[in-house]
Amino acid sequence: MHKLLDMLASGVHDAKNQLFIAESIIAAAEAAHGIPLGEARYAIESAANRLTRTLTAYHLMRHDAAAAVTPSIVGDVCDEVMLAQKKHLAELGITLTVDCQVLDEWPLDRDLVTDMLNNAVQNAGRFAHQAVHLSATTDDDWLCLRVDDDGPGFATLPPASGTGLVVAERLARLHARHARQGSLNLSNGGSLGGARFELRLP
Amino acid sequence: MSDYSKKRFLVIDDQAQARDALRTIAQQVGAFSVEFASNYQDAIFRIRNNTPDIILCDYMLGESRSGQQLLEELRRFNLLPDETIFMMVTGEQSYEQVVSAVELIPDDYIIKPFSPEKLMLRLDRILAKKRFFDRYYKEKRKQEYTKALATLEAACSTEEGRSYRFEILRQRAEVFLANGDVKSAESAYRGILESYDFPWARAGVARSLHRQNRLQEAREEIERVVARTPHFFDAGDLKATICMAQGEHAEAQQVLDEMAKKTPRNYLRKRLLAEAATLNGDTETALAAMTDVLANDTMPGAISAEDRLATARGHVNASDKITAERVLLGLRDAEVQKMTLAEQASFAALLALCSPEKGKTRFAGLRPAMLSSDFGATTNVDILRAALSVGDNELADLEAEHLMAGPDAKKVFSTLRAQFSLHGREKDLREIQRQVALKRIHHEELITEKPAGDTPSA
Repeated sequence: MHKLLDMLASGVHDAKNQLFIAESIIAAAEAAHGIPLGEARYAIESAANRLTRTLTAYHLMRHDAAAAVTPSIVGDVCDEVMLAQKKHLAELGITLTVDCQVLDEWPLDRDLVTDMLNNAVQNAGRFAHQAVHLSATTDDDWLCLRVDDDGPGFATLPPASGTGLVVAERLARLHARHARQGSLNLSNGGSLGGARFELRLP
Repeated sequence: MSDYSKKRFLVIDDQAQARDALRTIAQQVGAFSVEFASNYQDAIFRIRNNTPDIILCDYMLGESRSGQQLLEELRRFNLLPDETIFMMVTGEQSYEQVVSAVELIPDDYIIKPFSPEKLMLRLDRILAKKRFFDRYYKEKRKQEYTKALATLEAACSTEEGRSYRFEILRQRAEVFLANGDVKSAESAYRGILESYDFPWARAGVARSLHRQNRLQEAREEIERVVARTPHFFDAGDLKATICMAQGEHAEAQQVLDEMAKKTPRNYLRKRLLAEAATLNGDTETALAAMTDVLANDTMPGAISAEDRLATARGHVNASDKITAERVLLGLRDAEVQKMTLAEQASFAALLALCSPEKGKTRFAGLRPAMLSSDFGATTNVDILRAALSVGDNELADLEAEHLMAGPDAKKVFSTLRAQFSLHGREKDLREIQRQVALKRIHHEELITEKPAGDTPSA
């Protein structure tokens, strides 16, 4: 019935398994020879995330995307973004800092939100001079996840909407709770003076 | 960070290369001892003989088995101690959808590819969580429910508890359910739903309502879950169980039939299918399902006396009394003696049905116990059938009255009607039905309080 989708999903699945084999071999080589290959691993994980995102975008187009909402620890989500991005940004001379003020477990799609934040940090890293900041706070029973940078900010607001942005907006909206829906806001003049990416989740 | 060098890892994956990759990553985390299992059976064997500390299990295990099924099987046979970490490993996002819906979840899952650092982060967190709930787990395992609830209550008010606020609520609801406090369970699950509409919490509401015999409400709740998360098969099982309780056996069978096709190796579901098919009068499907269970549910201790009885019952329904008798007489004396009294009653009744000569004495011997005890719907129906066939109308009528006044009235009504009409006693059954209704009205007049739950309809 969903032949194309099945083909795409199984292709992505196989590719990610192959990438995992590659990553494990690189990790073993790093340990055995003491050579830092973090950037190679970063590239592998980025490729895998890209594949996942493509499949998600396809689901969104077919209107059968659904958030897999589980109670998640917000601090853990931030830690994982830190782990995934910090070294890579450091290579570019950019410092990533994290400040999570949210203690409570929150109902969200952990993988989807982590991926969105990874993507936002990656984007911020492209324009930042030297700093990117990820923060988590609550505001009137909303969870606010922000990525700020010290770059020049968005040239136009709203920015010329690329596919990535449209996908991210729709992913935010998949988070619904009672009558409230998640949203994505992009602005300038964030805490570091540059662009701000803000994901608000109910 | 914890020290993983002394932990014993078990990697379960049907693909050799993927196993190697998982081992390599585990070794980078510090693991020294990493064992392999290449398939489902091998995994169960290893876990049973020497339980590992950390299990990394791929979601797709081949041979139409999944890691989720393995997890369910391990829990079913109580092979996973609380201290053991079960981490599902998957290359695809779809497992997320499973985890977000179902009631039985692994400690965590991780999506490939991942780095040793990420695995370590995840394992550290699981250990922290296990430490946090340690005392509660112990109390729950010992079935000290009051203590367990108090522990959860205390955990709730700590700062660390905020990180697990939903988990605490979920555990609390599960303890209520395990302890038979179904009303508290219902309100605990409803409390969670006020925060977020988790499928597992709504299924919990349905489960609590079902246990209160509030069948229509339970059905409405579970229908919502099934419609929203069709891959949440346990919800489908619950829906089928509720359908049976409502007397809608065809619907129950259809639900189970469809799911059994998708999960051909789930033998608990096959047993449920056999039950629904039996009630639905589809003896062929019921027998096929039980034959599959007996042949393929290979875990030691998986086949119970009840399974043999269900198989014999299936043959009786198919009017193959010779095979039914063979199944019953195939049970060794020691096995029969180990049966519960209800199972012994079913055994005697079924034997009396297929071979009055061999079964009558045993059946008569248990008659006093049958008159004085309530063995549950399945056994009561067995007794009723045997009683009708040996002409013991007093016993048959008593069982009929019992069943129709009880919570399973709708479930067994069509069977009762068929059995009574088989013996030309439809009128007598209607009279029993009338008496039960009169008694109920009288009872309701006596206690003005409205009884909870649906009442069986005529």
